[in-house]
Amino acid sequence: MRDRRLHRTLRLLPLATAVAAAMPVQADSGVGVDTWRANRLHPDAGVSISAPDERGTSWLAPGQRRAPTGNLYQCPLEPAPPRERGDWIGHGVLEVGAIATSGDDHDAQWNRYVDWDSGLILGLLDYTLERPDDGSYANVRASRISDDDEYYQAVFGRAGSFKVQAFLRDVPNVLSDDAKSIWNGVGGNELTLVAPLVPAGSTRAEVAAAHAAAPTRTLSVTREKQGIGFSMYLTPRWTLYANATNEDRKGARAFGGTFFFNFPFPDNGGIFETLRPIDDSTVNLNGGLRFAGPVWRMDFGYVGSFYRDAYTRFTYETPYALYPVVPGAVSAPLTIGQFATEPDNDYHNLKATFTRKLPLNGELSLTASGGRMRQDDDLIAPIECQGVFGIGLEGSLALGPQNPFLFDCADWNTPDALSRRSADMQIDTTLFDGRIVLQPSGDLTVRGGVRWNREDYRDTYLAFNPRTGQYGYVSENGAQGSVVPGEIGFWDPFGNASNVTRVRSLALDLETTEATFAADWKLGTHDTLGATYTFNRFEPTHRERREVDAHSLKLTWVNRALDWLTFRANYTYLTQDGDRYNHDPYEHTFSMSLPGFIALPGGVLAHTVDALRKYDVSSRDQNKLDLMATLAPRADMTLSASLRGEWNDYDAVLGRRGYDTLGFTLQWEWQPSPRTSTSVYYGYDRSSLGIANINDLENGDDPTLGGATYPLEGRWWVDDEQRNHNAGATFRHAFGRVRFDAGWNSLYSRGITSYRFASPVALAYFSDGALGIDRFPPMSWRVNSFDIGITFPLHERASLRLFDYYERASIRDWHYDGFDRVRVIDHRVYADGGPESYDANMVGLLLRVTL
Amino acid sequence: MNLRSPCLARIAALLLAMPAVAFALPPGFLDLRDTGPVHGNADAVRDRLEACSACHGRDGVSPVPIFPSIGGMPVEYLYWQLVEFQREADPESPMTALVMTLGDQDLRDYATWYAAQKPVAPAAVDAVADERIARIFREGDVAAGIPPCSGCHGADAGGHPLATSEPRYRLYPPLRGQHAAYLAQRLKDFRDGKNLVTSNDRIMHGVAEHISDEDAQALADWLQAMAR
Repeated sequence: MRDRRLHRTLRLLPLATAVAAAMPVQADSGVGVDTWRANRLHPDAGVSISAPDERGTSWLAPGQRRAPTGNLYQCPLEPAPPRERGDWIGHGVLEVGAIATSGDDHDAQWNRYVDWDSGLILGLLDYTLERPDDGSYANVRASRISDDDEYYQAVFGRAGSFKVQAFLRDVPNVLSDDAKSIWNGVGGNELTLVAPLVPAGSTRAEVAAAHAAAPTRTLSVTREKQGIGFSMYLTPRWTLYANATNEDRKGARAFGGTFFFNFPFPDNGGIFETLRPIDDSTVNLNGGLRFAGPVWRMDFGYVGSFYRDAYTRFTYETPYALYPVVPGAVSAPLTIGQFATEPDNDYHNLKATFTRKLPLNGELSLTASGGRMRQDDDLIAPIECQGVFGIGLEGSLALGPQNPFLFDCADWNTPDALSRRSADMQIDTTLFDGRIVLQPSGDLTVRGGVRWNREDYRDTYLAFNPRTGQYGYVSENGAQGSVVPGEIGFWDPFGNASNVTRVRSLALDLETTEATFAADWKLGTHDTLGATYTFNRFEPTHRERREVDAHSLKLTWVNRALDWLTFRANYTYLTQDGDRYNHDPYEHTFSMSLPGFIALPGGVLAHTVDALRKYDVSSRDQNKLDLMATLAPRADMTLSASLRGEWNDYDAVLGRRGYDTLGFTLQWEWQPSPRTSTSVYYGYDRSSLGIANINDLENGDDPTLGGATYPLEGRWWVDDEQRNHNAGATFRHAFGRVRFDAGWNSLYSRGITSYRFASPVALAYFSDGALGIDRFPPMSWRVNSFDIGITFPLHERASLRLFDYYERASIRDWHYDGFDRVRVIDHRVYADGGPESYDANMVGLLLRVTL
Repeated sequence: MNLRSPCLARIAALLLAMPAVAFALPPGFLDLRDTGPVHGNADAVRDRLEACSACHGRDGVSPVPIFPSIGGMPVEYLYWQLVEFQREADPESPMTALVMTLGDQDLRDYATWYAAQKPVAPAAVDAVADERIARIFREGDVAAGIPPCSGCHGADAGGHPLATSEPRYRLYPPLRGQHAAYLAQRLKDFRDGKNLVTSNDRIMHGVAEHISDEDAQALADWLQAMAR
């Protein structure tokens, strides 16, 4: 407890520093420290609990309710009556109260990004002090629902001079409320089996019993972020800004864990859903100088990001023993699996932009930027084991020529088994960008631009063990080679000269060039036409194509022929093509590229089928259409409708073949007075994704579609169809001084994945082909939420709000079918029970006091 | 926490025990943003102008610099000024006693009479050729936080440019040729937040918030020097 208090005190330091620091300089408010802070208690930014200001938006015009775009917006909220405090004027609100939840209030989805399980809460503290004499101001803003769901912010400055701000913000992310662990140490980086389970010595029944006896636990990750920033005018034209944030993430989440396949090897291998720790942080910095003059504008900026993880790796024990597929042989007793955590890394970027006004009401902007991403974290040993790993063919675990597939852990369980001790990886980025805009007349605007971007990988890693002279990495924590002789994951020119295994990292250097030319033309008073041509060239290295070109033409039309209607239409045609498609550009990363590799008589295993096209570099044609209409049948009413569609045709026999989307929205808003507003919304969209692929029916070297390795009877097709319905309605009305609000939101999402195949041999499990099923069960999420609130005035400066929020969800996800009964299936052990349907309610009472 | 919590029970009891509370709307404020045309009968007051004439003249040309000349002003502006005098009932204002006994139709009739009078140029004053003040009127003073006067009172200070299109624009009075003493005092009153009764008063409070005594007087002198 004492440590926690100390930690919280330390976290308050930047906030206190920001408030206490004297800044006799100048600033602007154009650059913020972080995004706007809010929480789920006030998802509508407090609109429902605050009275609209019946005076409207301006003393100059009555009934001004539309934004410049023509859309209705809410009346401004009634400002708190100010109080004079010497030279300062103060105003603000304090909102305190209590909430109570019921029903399935422990459900993870209900608690996503919020921690409702609290009694008394600070709904909002928002207080501002302003000194009219010199434009000085200060503001504090805070909300606290629980220890893990809170924010505090302080800002002070002087208008047109300087601004300093600091904040703390905690956000919970509940991932599962029904997880079970067969390990102790959840949240740390060493998972050890619970008693009475024994590493590599437990039966399925024992594991199932331990799993059943384990308490249900909640998995969550809490993000704690702190930030401080300032900006100031050095002169009326030069601005200096700097911001720094730090975010700590702590918790645990479901992750993987593998000891080789279990599906084809009953009572063997091990597939685990482990619970990995989250204990990392990111520091983000940015700062720079800006100049804004009548002719020139300039911006010189730096952005930095620094990620640090408390752990380099995490380990877990396996309860199951492994058995070799060779009769008479024995497997090494492997007990520990491991994962490397995300590496510590640094990012730096410097950017300079120069913008100059040109004749013809034009502007030219040039940007140059250079960045570096680097990580040099310590590398972990290839395996965590003691003794030996692999298979003793002659029935013992004695190292020697008699057991060629048995390996000494001491040669692999140390960083000395790596070609270097740390990652030493770096990616450099370079960007040049030029933009020009000219308006030769009031009716014509012409734009052009060129952009060139490079990402250069500065190093690659060769997996070489200097202790043994072998290349590669131990696969599956040594389990694969302990089940199947020789499948250990490494290559050497002596005993394993024909092994195909990955030995080198893949450098994905990329150069991108983009050119744009566009023009907008006002055709009379009612119509505006526009056309934009864009050319993109992608030049990746070590990819299936060295050059991919995309041409697109976008046509736009805006029509305002009728006072009450604005109609917008956009159509885009894009075509993408490239040079020769090489289905296997990765050979240099495998052992085939090493001197001494000997191909087997049947040749080297084909990497993949030659007809497969990866969708990002595939040739394709795209048609895209957007239609939008905004109708204002009355000054206080808006009806909006939109229709959008995208149709993609990929030139691929195998791979992604098509992706189409179609959706529409309808929205009606009516604000007959500041006291009354209502709206209704409905949206629908559908998408269709078509994929084709093929099963290899033998280990061969023929990549040809229809050849010996990939005969046509191995083909299969998948169609994924998604349908989403969104609907909502809101109603707000003030009955005298009593305000009432209600809302309803609905989401119904349904997806079906269907499949077909040329013959049952296309399937991993031949017998599935005889079931006569052509689709997986539907996946669906149906969530309805209702909120209702009533606010009573108690006093000129106080009101009481009683509100209720009810949410009901029906979730069907076949991936988790049966997990409510059993999650230990042979050697497969799952921790998370998956998302569940729920029915929960929250009622709250808040006292709001104007300060 | 769940619904069985004693905390919730206390909340519910508090709510049920809460008396119904009613509040009156803030009194006095006049929202003039959507006003309609004003009609009256000038003949109805033709023989009842003695009290008005003492300060504003029978034809609306005030002989006393501290009182405004009102002849030829828009009828809507004059009517709502009279309503405002009734609303604020300021005991320090000589207008209070004069308007408090009048009915609404009387106010419309008096407004109509004076709106129908032909504006007459006031007595000449020393010419004011202050380009800085002229710029404040035309363009405002961004550094001082003063918006331009011409936006609502017209580039020639003859009234709002849209005065003939909608009645609400006739609530922005012509300023040219008005008595400087009256204008300067009004500017200072707006600045100091005195008698802010109408929505238009709120506009002027924001406009005049940062004007100095010296600039208020200089601006008033400059406006008076403009021929009506």
